[in-house]
Amino acid sequence: MLFIIRKRLFQLFIVLLVLSIFTFTLMKLAPGDPVLTILNADEMLVTEEDQAKLRSDLGFDQPLYVQYGKWMLNLAQLDLGKSYMTGKPVWDELMERLQITIELTTFALFIMISIAIPLGVLAAINAGRWPDQVSRILALIGASIPNFWLGLILIYLFTFKLQILPSSGIGSYSHIILPAFTLGFTFAVVYARLLRAGLLQSMSEDFILAGRARGLKEWRILWIHAFRAAILPVITVFGLSIGSFLGGAVVVEILFSWPGLGSLAVEAIFNRDYPVIQGYVLLTGIFVVIVNLLVDLSYYVIDPRINRKEEAL
Amino acid sequence: MKINVQMPKAIKLGIKIKNENHMIICGLSFLTVIIFITLLGPFIVPNDPLSANMSERLASPSVTYPLGTDHMGRCIFSRLVIGAQATLGITGLVVASVVMIGIPIGLVTGYIGGRIDSVIMRLVDGLLALPEFILAITIAGFLGPSLINLMISIVFVKWIGYTRVVRGIVILERNKDYVSAAKVSGSSNWKIIRRHLLPQIISPVLVLAALDIGKVILIISSLSYLGLGAQPPAPEWGAMLNDGRPYFQTVPELMIYPGLAIFFVVLSFNLIGEGLRDKLDVKRH
Amino acid sequence: MEATIEKQIKNAGDLVHTAEESLLEIEDLTITIDSVKKDLVKQIDLSIKAGEMLGLVGESGSGKSLTATALLGLLPSSLQITGGTIRLGNHQITSLSEKEMRQVRGKEIAYVSQNYQSFFTPFIKIGKQFVEVIQSHSPTKKSEAKKIVRYWLNKVNLPADRVFNSYPFQLSGGQLQRAAIACAILLRPRLIIADEPTTALDVLTGEKILDLLRGLQKELNCAILLITHDLKHVMNRSDEIAIMYGGQILERGRTCDVYQNPAHPYTRLLFQSRLQLSKEVTKELRTIYGEPGLIAEKGCPFARRCPYVFEACNEIPQIKTVSDAHWVACHAAN
Ligand SMILES: Nc1ncnc2c1ncn2[C@@H]1O[C@H](COP(=O)(O)OP(=O)(O)O)[C@@H](O)[C@H]1O
Ligand code: SF4
Ligand SMILES: [Mg+2]
Repeated sequence: MLFIIRKRLFQLFIVLLVLSIFTFTLMKLAPGDPVLTILNADEMLVTEEDQAKLRSDLGFDQPLYVQYGKWMLNLAQLDLGKSYMTGKPVWDELMERLQITIELTTFALFIMISIAIPLGVLAAINAGRWPDQVSRILALIGASIPNFWLGLILIYLFTFKLQILPSSGIGSYSHIILPAFTLGFTFAVVYARLLRAGLLQSMSEDFILAGRARGLKEWRILWIHAFRAAILPVITVFGLSIGSFLGGAVVVEILFSWPGLGSLAVEAIFNRDYPVIQGYVLLTGIFVVIVNLLVDLSYYVIDPRINRKEEAL
Repeated sequence: MKINVQMPKAIKLGIKIKNENHMIICGLSFLTVIIFITLLGPFIVPNDPLSANMSERLASPSVTYPLGTDHMGRCIFSRLVIGAQATLGITGLVVASVVMIGIPIGLVTGYIGGRIDSVIMRLVDGLLALPEFILAITIAGFLGPSLINLMISIVFVKWIGYTRVVRGIVILERNKDYVSAAKVSGSSNWKIIRRHLLPQIISPVLVLAALDIGKVILIISSLSYLGLGAQPPAPEWGAMLNDGRPYFQTVPELMIYPGLAIFFVVLSFNLIGEGLRDKLDVKRH
Repeated sequence: MEATIEKQIKNAGDLVHTAEESLLEIEDLTITIDSVKKDLVKQIDLSIKAGEMLGLVGESGSGKSLTATALLGLLPSSLQITGGTIRLGNHQITSLSEKEMRQVRGKEIAYVSQNYQSFFTPFIKIGKQFVEVIQSHSPTKKSEAKKIVRYWLNKVNLPADRVFNSYPFQLSGGQLQRAAIACAILLRPRLIIADEPTTALDVLTGEKILDLLRGLQKELNCAILLITHDLKHVMNRSDEIAIMYGGQILERGRTCDVYQNPAHPYTRLLFQSRLQLSKEVTKELRTIYGEPGLIAEKGCPFARRCPYVFEACNEIPQIKTVSDAHWVACHAAN
């Protein structure tokens, strides 16, 4: 257990290092002069002096490695600089938006699970029959449909035609349903297939036959004895694809005007608000590593064998 | 309630898909039609996809405009057909570059191994912690929104996957007897890579590429939809969806057609990819 | 608590011992692969008397496990019972509903498998799985159930507390197989099916397990169907033996009768190879002709390896009575 936490912390360090170098390099490579961007945003008359002053205020006149070093020092104190656009500390803006994004992703995750589990179990129980085929077709559709398009169709149906759900904004549960479903659906149908495969695999294990031979009820066999082994591969893949999930969240946030991290990032990209983009990139990196740590830890809860094996090492 | 362990016999998808062959055939036939239309595009489109005609904006389908016109009075059908060139062309270019970059690096790092290999892979892992899509929008964001930058960013993100797969296989094969035997008998490294390692990686890379084409199309259209890809007035499917957004309450066709186009293209590649994976028995990565 | 359980055992023993009628009756059982209509088990007859042990001997692939799974009503859906009947006491197993069958499993027929490593669900503690069995068959308080479990774990010479709180992977093979046996006798079934319980264990541990089974069978007076590919496992233990080959029963009878007067060429070869092995004769000596698993599609399944084969062997041999309670299926036998 400690071993895995150590491993992930080390990974986190590498990730932050690589991402910081990456964004720093990109920022320096980026066309356009951020000094002008900032000054334009303030809509003042720009003089050469103003520019020079700002440049040295921001430290842009110093060598690159000094700039990077300073930036990293600040980063270590959670100081990501200030947004060029709003002038507010990037960290504060990120945290504000993070909360809103977490709301969306949690709900999407909830929808995902409540579609994936029943669908996967039904497909496995009825392997080769129509529920299995339906789930297979759904998975094919889910993997092929652009999720923003799915969102558009849902908006058309539920907002314009049926007029029962709002298409944008936040505030109530009715606001969250469409974006969360859009985000959750495409993943849910694919995970349902994984769960089905996992269940078919674990249902063919000898311990299932032995359990049946002991006269256990079929629902216990399924949910208590087979399900646990079947869910492991699904969790693994979830850890691997948390990235696409977050990527999907960006598009969905834009589509439904959901003022979360993704919207912030896209706004920042259009405004060339580099500190915000950097902050977003680093935060996402941390998030991905943390989710993968949670995935690793969940193995220990689900399968006690892993724990003991490592203790033995 | 008893789970029966057996393979699904058949699925019906309009056409009866019995096994991997049927999936591949189904995907290939979709694709053939699409490619045919794409290639013939310039000769069959009834109108100039770029010429706006404000007096005919948002027109319903007619003989002149088979699928109607968009908010600027441009022929939707013509834009869709010409847009296929953009989407498929970019995708083809991107996947080809990715394969050309990913395979050699994977072969070399995997074959050499040691320090260099592990440092490169550590760095790559660090970068991979960032979701592909987010990496791509970040790069596109820093470099500025344009089609070229979009392509650069996707290539930058995607080669890593191929490097990993290739490297994994090479490391597995490297230590096998036949490679050692080839080494002992004096084959050059280059010859070993070409003769023994390259053939091993073909089918996994093929499957990966087929499945990736669908994903790349989805990424391109998403980025274009966000306004980070093809810039107006270019007829790219994702961009068309973005254009149509303000009008789709009244004219949903503006978003339905490009969306369907994306869906069917991605679907055909997924059918081929999944079919190939089952057929060539390539494990999921 | 322990005293009550002991008492129940004694009483039950006295009761059953009087019944001379057979507990399990398999008649004409045929198991077919649905898709290709191929019979894997062909018209077999078997019976076990209450409290006795039947050794079912046959080489790998002869259909022993299929027969066992059919008894439990757990054949995979691709296989089907296409003929014959199975009776356990007064249950007609072949016509029970799934729900009724579930109540029979574990309570009246218990099962111990070859694969001890995968007998218990790997990520649930052993004790919990025992309690689950008890509670699945009758509503029992957890504390009560725990006491019963401890009693039976002790009975099979396991450290009850430690095993109760262990995960399956924390026990050795021999311990797991003991635990499996404890789980099987937990509800005092009338029949235990032990499908090659020792094959995956080393010889010494295996012998101990078989002795344990035999001892419990005597003490609890339950019947045991001991499946094995090794004749010597059952020679000194079982009351009756049946020899299976290619999905058919070639010979069956009281163990001593079969031993003294093996009527089927295959049985004779089995005994011969056993004797030769015990005398450590040169290894070059091929004791049974042909490859194991070489099964004739038509007629006598042993025809392709039988030294006495003749024309009539193209037909399936009728079952002949050798002596009282001793049958053989061979054209050459008299
Ligand atoms: N589910 C199944 N589908 C098809 N054939 C099977 C199945 N299970 C077992 N068989 C076949 O039935 C024969 C008998 O198997 P089994 O009863 O397991 O033999 P054993 O005597 O070794 O226990 C074997 O030839 C095996 O290949
Ligand atoms: S029936 Fe024929 S082939 Fe079969 S065992 Fe008897 S003699 Fe041999
Ligand atoms: Mg067997």
